Amino acid sequence: MALDVGKFIKAPEYDVKIISRRDVFQASVCEEDRFSDECLELSALIVLDAAEMKRMGIQDGANVRLTSKWGSVVVRARASPREEQKGLGFMVNGPWVNALVSDEAPDGIPAFKDIEAKITISKDGITGIQELHLL
Amino acid sequence: MAFAVALLSRTKQYTECPPLMEEEQYIDSRQKLETILKPLEGAEETGLIIHEELCSGCGNCVVACPVNVANDPYGSGRGFGPTNGKVIFRVENGKVKAANIEECRRFGKDRILCRACIDPCPTEAIEFV
Amino acid sequence: MTEPITWTCTGCALLCEDILVYIKDNRVEKVEHACLKGKARVYGCKHTAMSTVDQEEVDINNAIIQAAEILEKASNPSLYGWSNSTSEAQVAGIELAQTLGACIDSTSSFCQGITINEIMNGSIPSCTLEDVREKADVVIYWGADPMSSHPRHLSRYSYFPRGELRQRGYEEDRTAICIDVTESRTAKMCKGMFFRIPPGGDAEFMRALMDGLAGRVPKLSYDFDVKRILELAAVLKKAEFGVIFAGLGLVYSIKEEFDLISEFMSTLNRFSNFFLIPMAGHFNMRGFNHNLHKKTGFIHRLGFTKNGPVSGVEYSVLEQLKHGADAVMVVGSDPLASLPLSITKRLKDIPLILVDPCANLTSRVADVTIPCVASGIEVGGTAVRLDGKNMDISPLIQGDGLSDEMVIRRIMEEVN
Ligand code: SF4
Ligand code: SF4
Ligand code: SF4
Repeated sequence: MALDVGKFIKAPEYDVKIISRRDVFQASVCEEDRFSDECLELSALIVLDAAEMKRMGIQDGANVRLTSKWGSVVVRARASPREEQKGLGFMVNGPWVNALVSDEAPDGIPAFKDIEAKITISKDGITGIQELHLL
Repeated sequence: MAFAVALLSRTKQYTECPPLMEEEQYIDSRQKLETILKPLEGAEETGLIIHEELCSGCGNCVVACPVNVANDPYGSGRGFGPTNGKVIFRVENGKVKAANIEECRRFGKDRILCRACIDPCPTEAIEFV
Repeated sequence: MTEPITWTCTGCALLCEDILVYIKDNRVEKVEHACLKGKARVYGCKHTAMSTVDQEEVDINNAIIQAAEILEKASNPSLYGWSNSTSEAQVAGIELAQTLGACIDSTSSFCQGITINEIMNGSIPSCTLEDVREKADVVIYWGADPMSSHPRHLSRYSYFPRGELRQRGYEEDRTAICIDVTESRTAKMCKGMFFRIPPGGDAEFMRALMDGLAGRVPKLSYDFDVKRILELAAVLKKAEFGVIFAGLGLVYSIKEEFDLISEFMSTLNRFSNFFLIPMAGHFNMRGFNHNLHKKTGFIHRLGFTKNGPVSGVEYSVLEQLKHGADAVMVVGSDPLASLPLSITKRLKDIPLILVDPCANLTSRVADVTIPCVASGIEVGGTAVRLDGKNMDISPLIQGDGLSDEMVIRRIMEEVN
């Protein structure tokens, strides 16, 4: 049996600062049905600068694992149609990005737009909503 | 040339050019034209295409279109939903719908290259071909 | 076709009052003028909430009795949500909190509450959206992306419409400016007037603009073309009626030195005439602040203690969920989806009650779920628009369900 070498090589990890934001299309489909595939598709998503993705070896549409001190989720990576600042990733408000947010909020406001995480290519499937809540 | 313009402004169809349709020697050109004009299918008479899946129903085009403003100054022109049926754009069930396209400034005798619905669209849902 | 009903949309805090809804057989058939978000609101959610206790379906009266029991037994109950409720339901909620000696807080706690507070106490000048439409010639979307959050913002009020003093159309009459970390859909509308700043760079940018306004050369620790800042300062100085739409991007970035905003506004108003409007999200987020203020003098993060109502960060929903509360009632919100999971995890360990029209993540773990009808669809009332204007909400269809206000009043009867 051939040895699957790839299995033992750890995919490189990069730092990413995640900023959450809103999206009208996601908001509408999730309002209709929070448990729908469309809601998942538009929520379990991180948007990155296209050139940065290339540098990190992440293909448009690939699954990536995002890990912060507070949680870890697998979402789809998408290249931004516009240029973005280096090191930034954008996610739409929802349970996926919220799995990564710190519980420290001394002023009562969580760091929804300032999330330090690591990003790496993942062979795992996108984290389902059930899975998320077993975390 | 006049025929080409008519073709693009959708007042003529390429099938209305007899030699193109009938003569052997034009087969290649005909096929080429067919591919070029393919995206025009589904377009309105005037070449307007709305990519509904991209539309968020924001109403920017509704309020910015000069025809909407002229025909409904106190409705669309003031930012409200259209108050009569004489406008080009209105939003129905969260998506923009077009009517009265013959009034579009891009057509007719004093036509101008109006972009007042294209530029304000945040998602590039409106296109003219 | 049937005659349409003119309706006020509860899809976001813009509360568009020009929506036409066609109803047939007590069902929505068509909606005109609402954006996609509003359309989703009118048609409602696919999975409505069920009346449950311990995740088992029960009669709604039993669920209400159970909820009252949980709240009565708790020594530190916390009531949270409220931004998706009419003012009438909010007032009932505040009364319930008072009866219980509970904490009460809304989503404004980690959203625009801080901005609304400064406007309500007069530190930041504000105006109405009608003022914006009729008069504004310079608008700034700062850390805000209304094209994604309040889709009709630019078309109804802030950029595209013709107004009393803005008759010639947006290209000639209005300048739209966007300051953000990314070229958002709104930034795209602001041709040549998009200023990309690094995350957390808002305060410095504000100071640089103040320098520019005062004729000093701005200094920044990050790379930014100073000439563009000076140009922007010149545009602001010339404004006849300027409005800043403050988004969460700005609020979060500047929250530690929030006074800078009022300082910036006064500097700006030495040269010009500027107002600020908070981009509140949910349809009646601001209503909660107004209603609580009327009753207690505080806008949110409130504890009804033995010594009377007290406000402070320890009464904020975040602190309450983390360690304060020993029972939580959520009204019209889905904290498991919208708050950090690191914090909401604890909701599984304490008694949790949800009052909401829809099944959501929170309903899947709640000890008691009480369905209510959707505000603005089956029940009317009043709400406060993001600029502070009171708006009437009328119901669209007849339902036989209880409104959230009625549910709360019923709980109160059980408690008393
Ligand atoms: S091109 Fe101009 S006139 Fe024609 S539909 Fe668009 S905005 Fe209206
Ligand atoms: S401007 Fe674009 S997104 Fe907005 S209503 Fe028109 S087509 Fe739809
Ligand atoms: S902008 Fe807001 S209030 Fe207006 S229609 Fe859209 S969701 Fe409703």
